[in-house]
Amino acid sequence: MSVVRDAQLRLTRRTLFGASSFGIGGAALASLLGADQQRLAARTTDSPPELPHQAPRAKRVIYMFQNGGPTHVDLFDYKPRLGDLHGQLLPDSFAQGKRFSTMTGNAQGKLLLAPVEPFAQHGQSGAWVSAFLPYTAAIADQLCFVKSLHTDAVNHAPAISLLLSGAQIPGRPTLGAWLNYGLGSESEELPSFVVMTSVSKGTTCGQIFYEFYWGSGFLPSQFQGVRFRGSGDPVLYVSNPPGIDRSLRRAWLNDLAELNADKAREYHDPETMARVAQYEMAFRMQASVPELTDISDEPSHILDMYGPQVREPGTYAHNCLLARRLVERGVRFVQVMHAGWDQHLSVTTELYTQCRDTDQPSAALVRDLQQRGLLEDTLVIWGGEFGRTPFLQGKMEDRPKWGRDHHPYGFTMWLAGGGIRAGQSYGSTDELAFNVAENPVHVHDLQATLLHLLGIDHKKLTYRFQGRQFRLTDVHGQVVQGLLI
Amino acid sequence: MVRGVLRFFQTSIVGVAAVASAAAEEPVSFQRQIQPILAENCYACHGPDPEHRQADLRLDSEEGLRTVVQPGNGEASELLRRVASSDPDHRMPPGDPALALTPAQVGLLRLWMDQGARWDEHWSFVPITRPPIPTSAPFLRQIRHPIDRFVQANLWDRHRGVCAPEAARSTLIRRVTLDLTGLPPEPHHVDAFVRDPAPDAYERLVDRLLAAPAFGERVAWDWLDAARYADSNGYQDDNDRTMWPWRDWAVHVINQNLPYDQFTCWQLAGDLLPNATLEQRLATGFCRNHMINGEGGRIAEENRVDYIMDITETVGTVWLGLTMNCCRCHDHKFDPLTQQDYYQLFAFFNQTPVDGRGRDPQTAPVLEVPDEDLERELQAAQLALAALGDATDSSTSTSTSTSNSASTSTSSSAKESLQKRVEQLRQRIPRVMVMADGHDRVTYVLDRGQYNRTGRAVTADVPAQFPRLPKGASPNRLALAGWITDPANPLTARVVVNRVWQSLFGTGLVKTVEDFGIQGERPEQLLLLDWLAKEFIDHQWDYKHLVRLIVTSHTYRQSSRGGDRMAYVDDPENRRLARGPRYRLPAWMIRDQALAVSGLLVHRTGGAPVRGYQPPGVWEEATFGLRPYDRDVGASLYRRSLYTFWRRIIAPTMFFDNAARQVCTVRTVRTNTPLHALLTLNDVTFVEAARELAAGTLASTDGSDRDRINAIYRRVCARDATEREAEILQHALLRTRQHYTRDPQAAQQLVSVGDSVPSTPQSSMELASWTNLCLTVLNCDEALTKE
Repeated sequence: MSVVRDAQLRLTRRTLFGASSFGIGGAALASLLGADQQRLAARTTDSPPELPHQAPRAKRVIYMFQNGGPTHVDLFDYKPRLGDLHGQLLPDSFAQGKRFSTMTGNAQGKLLLAPVEPFAQHGQSGAWVSAFLPYTAAIADQLCFVKSLHTDAVNHAPAISLLLSGAQIPGRPTLGAWLNYGLGSESEELPSFVVMTSVSKGTTCGQIFYEFYWGSGFLPSQFQGVRFRGSGDPVLYVSNPPGIDRSLRRAWLNDLAELNADKAREYHDPETMARVAQYEMAFRMQASVPELTDISDEPSHILDMYGPQVREPGTYAHNCLLARRLVERGVRFVQVMHAGWDQHLSVTTELYTQCRDTDQPSAALVRDLQQRGLLEDTLVIWGGEFGRTPFLQGKMEDRPKWGRDHHPYGFTMWLAGGGIRAGQSYGSTDELAFNVAENPVHVHDLQATLLHLLGIDHKKLTYRFQGRQFRLTDVHGQVVQGLLI
Repeated sequence: MVRGVLRFFQTSIVGVAAVASAAAEEPVSFQRQIQPILAENCYACHGPDPEHRQADLRLDSEEGLRTVVQPGNGEASELLRRVASSDPDHRMPPGDPALALTPAQVGLLRLWMDQGARWDEHWSFVPITRPPIPTSAPFLRQIRHPIDRFVQANLWDRHRGVCAPEAARSTLIRRVTLDLTGLPPEPHHVDAFVRDPAPDAYERLVDRLLAAPAFGERVAWDWLDAARYADSNGYQDDNDRTMWPWRDWAVHVINQNLPYDQFTCWQLAGDLLPNATLEQRLATGFCRNHMINGEGGRIAEENRVDYIMDITETVGTVWLGLTMNCCRCHDHKFDPLTQQDYYQLFAFFNQTPVDGRGRDPQTAPVLEVPDEDLERELQAAQLALAALGDATDSSTSTSTSTSNSASTSTSSSAKESLQKRVEQLRQRIPRVMVMADGHDRVTYVLDRGQYNRTGRAVTADVPAQFPRLPKGASPNRLALAGWITDPANPLTARVVVNRVWQSLFGTGLVKTVEDFGIQGERPEQLLLLDWLAKEFIDHQWDYKHLVRLIVTSHTYRQSSRGGDRMAYVDDPENRRLARGPRYRLPAWMIRDQALAVSGLLVHRTGGAPVRGYQPPGVWEEATFGLRPYDRDVGASLYRRSLYTFWRRIIAPTMFFDNAARQVCTVRTVRTNTPLHALLTLNDVTFVEAARELAAGTLASTDGSDRDRINAIYRRVCARDATEREAEILQHALLRTRQHYTRDPQAAQQLVSVGDSVPSTPQSSMELASWTNLCLTVLNCDEALTKE
């Protein structure tokens, strides 16, 4: 039996059997079940060994997940040689034996495509960012560009699953669930793993947000991400039914707590008091969630930072602002997902929309965190499941339909905040942005590094399932020291 | 092993003191104490997987272990020298000092070797024999049948524990009714049972429940979770599919009590039975319940291989309790299962015409399964068409009558419209994906499980560790089904008996329901498991007999009040069975209970899935508006949860802690979160049910508040409210009446929730107050819990 469980039971017993605690009312009971008890009640017998394993550099994470595979070739990974060879055949040596999606099949005979927008260097670090992302370019010195990522999967769902859960096949716990399980919650009134999704208006994107992108896999389901929705109640069922207001609900919850306390005294089943604690947490969420999502208290200069769409619930800009409000309130892991980066035939069209909708809010979030002193211990991640091919998908003469296919062999993400060595570009691809040339960072290495920053040894955060100790990084992963301060 | 435990039982007769002193010399169990240490720390490099084996040493076989162990002299054994070494270059396991064995583990190893280093085969791989029933259990008064003897002997000998008294009758009837039907007992059934003086009152109750149609619906839920049943394909397109006739088949045959061996055979190989009936072919839909990937950019053959892997692994989990999935890419790290075993099992399912192509929701082979109504309509239309054909023929052949070209053209247009109708009706016939063989594919071992990295060819066969297929049997799915249900198969009966136990007690006798391998839990109550498994086989795999046997035991009938305050602390999961089961109901059962107690439940069985209440926009947001949720109206809102449309990529929002129905799931973890509280407090289903429970109570009883509170408790908790409960609720009721008197509009809003219209002469103020009360009772720990 774990220490935590022990402590929980001691607390429960103290609550139930303490000399003068009989006959207490619901409110008193609820306050007896203080924050610690709430947290403990939310844990299970299977809680992991003492964490953190080392001093954490970051306390929380905002993962701005760009679904679809943003084109590293057009956004970050500047290769003049690609411009020189524009329209020429991809040399066989680059793609030999490599698998692409069935849309490309064999990469032989593909034509190279130069970046569609010009690149420039930015900030003191001289980071290359293209004209697609002016706001990101302006904060280049706050960012660490990892230009040598590579992954194993060529299709969206398996690649996203690999990035977020460490395995291509759905069913493993995701990063947020692992952290939730390992580190518990810092908030007494909000879930500790929150997910928000969006897609640019008018894109032809068909990417689905599968629930397993924030699932808890074989971990107990309390650790899964809670999806905040862009319309209706932000959290399912958070609103009281019509005709029951908060005061009435409060009073009945007091009665319910009394009824349950009697039950607990009769049966001594700790689950009963844990349930009382969860009902109290639910009640607090009913106030904290609307307070969180009501952005009317944000001054206009803050709203303006995030761009014109920030006032519209369900947009990426709105979600970025909510992400800041969430971490301010102690939420540990915020996963903001934006679909529509799948430019098979739209690098000259929809890619512009995509960048316009995401560039300003992404940069604003970093700046906003920084000006509040939160960036120091908040880890910010921006990136998708793979990059896009340096070669063309489509016909060279049909510029409006130019596109790029999925590309797992080298792509870019950026990191910022807690413990990240900002103002650098780490690793590189070859002269065509095709394969990793130096300092490769596999998806599992990235995961090991993220956990490390949160004070967790990725080899020690495990959960026993099907007779095996499972972990996020499977049997792989090395902390990338070069990314750390 | 059996002998060892029996010896232990005999000592227990002697008395406490003797046992206590004997405990010091208790033989170390290889399986329970030693093998787990070796598996956890050594098998990765010295286990069944030859690819990663170091120093050509294996510790998972008796032969290998003998080379490093000296029976009778632990100290002199190489194994002990290595694990106990303080020299980091010499110590095993190598590397990180944190990985070293604990002194306690080293001590156990030493003791085991000193005692002769006895080796046992893994418990679940040895044949099932019927262990003798313990005769020594000390508390004979509470023993009803063999299950209790096993449980109480274990409880006393191992834990010095005694069982709890029988639960109150009202508790018992609620428990067993929920367990066997997924619904709460009707108050008149409670009254009858509580008053029934006959000694077999409980047994008759159990028989009634086993015969109820709701029994099949309750058992089917777990089967659907295991069978990864859903109403859509999953993945990006997530097209709707019509597998529900298979679901109805499952409910039907569970109610008919189709023996489990045939239940198994039909689902794996019904199509291969001689003169296979429609039902038998329909049963094979089990295999086809896997997800289907319509994502652009996917390779058809890769999809196809994925599907066969899914079937292979599902069969491994559901029938054999083996983690076959570990062998997709390499030999198993712990169990004696090889990658070759995996692809030989795979080969049984690799002969179907499925090609992995296409976004068509129902991919061939499919079976047309018209339901009765549709069949009747179709027959009627076909008969009418035939009659019309005859009439038209006869009118043209009789040329003597005056020309009636007008009437002929009328009948030919009638014929056309009838033909059209027949065609339309045909289109509506559900098509169910089923199994068929016919292809003669060669199966290869796939390197790292990659569809296109074929290794050596293999033929269909069962894993080498286990008994062989009968000589001369052609190795097809029928032979596999026969092998799985052969009484000599050591796994099948143990695995299913354990799952039934889990469904009744909340935790299996083997907690790892999905893993009976080396790394799975070794059951403390192995003898009981084996006795039940053998009993099940000897009773011709009679499922209802098995359930009846368990629920009529004292072990099941015990009160779930812990014997003392520490009971739940000492044994939170009730593994010792010193009390009855008490745990939160599955989410679907909580919903069904709310519908049942409110009188809203519509008992119709079977048919196409329904779309109940769900917050607006959930499907739309997940699918970018591609799959709008058009919720049903009327009776469909109040059908049992079993019939709810299950969209794979966005499961119904109200069934928390459930299998996701994407891959086979036989065990889910029960959690306790604020999101559950929000659901049962605020969802339309529960608010409407609370109001209907209130309206029904107000309409049918004209007594005092106290009487009405009692009536509500009888419906929800199968008992009267206590004085204190009534006091709390009466007080709350007064307060709430005042609240709604001040705000009549709020009362009106609350009583208008849901599609149904309350039928009560009471004012909305009164009804709203009682609705609050009922909602609170439905959210009581006791209401949410099987007690």
